[in-house]
Amino acid sequence: MIPMILGRVALMVPLTLGVATAVFAVLAAAPGDPATLLLRPGVSPEAAERIREVYCLGCPLAERYLRWLGALASGDLGWSFTHARPVADVLLSALPGTLLLAGSALVLAFTLGTAAGVVQAVRHRSLLDRGLGAASLVFYSVPSFWLAVMLVVVFSYGARNVWSWPVWFPASGSRGLDHELLGPWSALMDTAWHMVLPVAALTLVMGAGVARYVRTSMLEVLGQDYVRTARAKGLPERHVVLRHALRNGLVPVVTLLGLHLPLLLSGAVFVEVVFAWPGMGRTMVDAVLTRDYPVVMAASVLFAVVVLVGNLVADVLHAVVDPRVGDG
Amino acid sequence: MRFPCGVRGTCATVLVLSACHGPEGPPASETTTSSATFCERVLPRVEAFMARMEEEHPVPDDPRYGGTVVVSAGVEIPGGMNAFTADSDEAFQHQLNVNLMSLLRYGPDLELEPYLAESWEVSADTTAVTFHLRDDVYWHDGERTDAYDVAFTYERATDPETRYRNAAHWQHYVPGPEGVEVLDSLTVTVHIARPHAEPLNPWQAVAVMPEHLLADVPAGELGGHPFGTVCPVGNGPFVFLEHRPNESWTFGANPAFPEGLGGRPFVDRYVFRRIPEPATLLAELLTEGTDVYLGPPLEHLDQIVGEPHLDTLSFPSRGYDFIAWNQRRPMLADARVRMALSMALDRQGIVEAILGGHGRIAHSTVPPFHWAYDIAPEGAVVYDPDEARRLLEEAGWTDGDGDGIREDSAGDPLRIQLDYALGSQRRSQTAEVAKAQLREVGVDLVLNVFGYTTLVDRVTDTVSRDYDAFLLGWANDFKLGDADLFHSERIGQPLAFAGVRNPELDLLIDTLDLISNRAEARPLWHRYQELLIAEQPYTFLYFPDRLVGYNRRLRDLRMDVRGYLVNLGDWWIDPAGR
Repeated sequence: MIPMILGRVALMVPLTLGVATAVFAVLAAAPGDPATLLLRPGVSPEAAERIREVYCLGCPLAERYLRWLGALASGDLGWSFTHARPVADVLLSALPGTLLLAGSALVLAFTLGTAAGVVQAVRHRSLLDRGLGAASLVFYSVPSFWLAVMLVVVFSYGARNVWSWPVWFPASGSRGLDHELLGPWSALMDTAWHMVLPVAALTLVMGAGVARYVRTSMLEVLGQDYVRTARAKGLPERHVVLRHALRNGLVPVVTLLGLHLPLLLSGAVFVEVVFAWPGMGRTMVDAVLTRDYPVVMAASVLFAVVVLVGNLVADVLHAVVDPRVGDG
Repeated sequence: MRFPCGVRGTCATVLVLSACHGPEGPPASETTTSSATFCERVLPRVEAFMARMEEEHPVPDDPRYGGTVVVSAGVEIPGGMNAFTADSDEAFQHQLNVNLMSLLRYGPDLELEPYLAESWEVSADTTAVTFHLRDDVYWHDGERTDAYDVAFTYERATDPETRYRNAAHWQHYVPGPEGVEVLDSLTVTVHIARPHAEPLNPWQAVAVMPEHLLADVPAGELGGHPFGTVCPVGNGPFVFLEHRPNESWTFGANPAFPEGLGGRPFVDRYVFRRIPEPATLLAELLTEGTDVYLGPPLEHLDQIVGEPHLDTLSFPSRGYDFIAWNQRRPMLADARVRMALSMALDRQGIVEAILGGHGRIAHSTVPPFHWAYDIAPEGAVVYDPDEARRLLEEAGWTDGDGDGIREDSAGDPLRIQLDYALGSQRRSQTAEVAKAQLREVGVDLVLNVFGYTTLVDRVTDTVSRDYDAFLLGWANDFKLGDADLFHSERIGQPLAFAGVRNPELDLLIDTLDLISNRAEARPLWHRYQELLIAEQPYTFLYFPDRLVGYNRRLRDLRMDVRGYLVNLGDWWIDPAGR
């Protein structure tokens, strides 16, 4: 396995450069630049040209690419046009929000999704199986943006204003106005309260997909000869499922987990927009719309690295869980 | 282990390139270090001074004092409190009404009144203006605001290295250090190169910046200085407390704000929140997560007024929507054609149906709040499809083949490509209405939708000018200056969308720019509006109002053409609603 891992790590460099080059080419081809957006009454064209000059926006493409590549190689992610701050600062300020939101959703989605899938497989064709199956199909199919808005309508506005439920959740933001004045425990609860709806939006969609994978995989495993043998030996059903079937049934889930890891960095744009959650997804979209090239390029490189790492982790975990998978 | 050839080659390339990079913008490492140092230096001083001011100026015994007001919108404040990079309404509103101060400001009657400057004199030959500053305004770190701050702000704003956005402000001023003279610590004279209209207008638009904090920052680095977004130090009614990027700005009441300017604000804290999604903004207003919702779409208004604790406000904006006709295209070169296109559009109907009545039709670029605005200008365009048809016939466009679309003598159809941008439901709907109404007079309007940046790039491309017409919005300053739009000498510049060549229009634009006496200028403004109507470089659609939803617990809100935060210091929260 070690040679496989080392080889994959070594290949990450050219692959990441390839992705970055492709993104650079697409951005260069897109019409408009940050200076274009400045043109309005009173703003002299000279001011816009001066900005183009300072940021080399009118330089030849090859020169801009090489300058950027050279800066990246020395660890300089560049300067954000719209935030007027180093790109590293912009991304670092957005990263914690994404890690918290996406990390929580990943853990919950895979835990609950796995549990649901196992239950469905064990209670195959029961009412519970059909009910959970219908629910997972619905949540897997609905657009996450719509689901997020519906959660706000029901559990924020509806719960508070319409039905006067004892518990309702804030529609947006990552913290309350008085967060700074709260003690550590209260601050934690405040953040958790604000996370409920956005995490739920992500968890429901992701968990539904996980449940469907686990159900299918477990049904296949539970039909194997060794499982029948375990039952024939008189082992308790719980023992058969959890000790013998689950490990093999989770093999595709492990792969799925690795493929979802990039979410920790890329965030979930729609959820971040609906809930005004500060994160990488929104930062990236804003940067694209305002042609903030340095942010887009740096974020693209980071995303590429994380996707490659995620794939590698998926393969490694797959090999760990399934001894039949070798170094190939 | 041996790495593959491609990997070794890539590593070598990266190593070489890392030795020859050219950073774009200020070197990140230097700026990061200096920003940490700058903020570490200034913020404790602000905290200490404000703590002392709280003791010296305790909260008055008045039930109006207290509480936190939250204003939410879908946008951030780009550039933050940096006056040198301000180019958005949010930035101006927060710099001039919240954290910083300008020398002058417009009163409710849109006449200039004292603010940081308590008085001023304009020399008899209008080549100099002398400001006398108040002696009771302090930066939030304890330094007194003085004439040196004004001089510093002016020198930097007129320095090309600063890349100050609104360079047109200083077009007729003497730039640089030669243009400003500090007479004493509270008196400063600024020199005007050429007498011109509204010479004092720039001084209500520019926030004075702290010389003692920024004087050693090179002009080229001011745009990226942490003062703007990380740790601004102001002198206005509210003190900067926190900025969470893309999330919120928090300000606290300044206890030392001069009594003569209203004194300490009633609210303890003001929070500006960015919430990109309109549905979420509405939910926050309904659930009292925000007190003010800026810019709700029309379909949200009914739901807002349906709640007993909420209400709406509508007030004039400074912008207008228009369709620019590119006269460089032969089919649009004839003024009769452009007039016909405008007369075929029921603009009042558009205001009623699409804007819900929140707006008024535009006759020219001159807005209703302008002192020289003509309510009923000569030759004002009216909705008259029959007259539109007659004008088109007269201009040589007839429907010879009976297909409903007019052609010229060569048989080419009157087919106009109208470009507009995504993101504005109002403009999308207006474009659809325009298509339908122009079809009725025999014009085939083909709609093309673009992303906003793409559209702006397309219409400002001075090389190709590859458009027939486009629909956009435009924001006016209080001082009107249409030279970039309509003067023939600037026809090669990015903002000359319509390609106008009209000598009388040129003369009027030049003359109006230089007449400082309003009585003398008034008849020329009338003629200017008449001429724009006759020329129809644009179909001037409407001046839309700005809409706001707010919580009734807020009292004494005033929002008008000056902005939505114009009297933030006077807002107070009903104690029962806190």
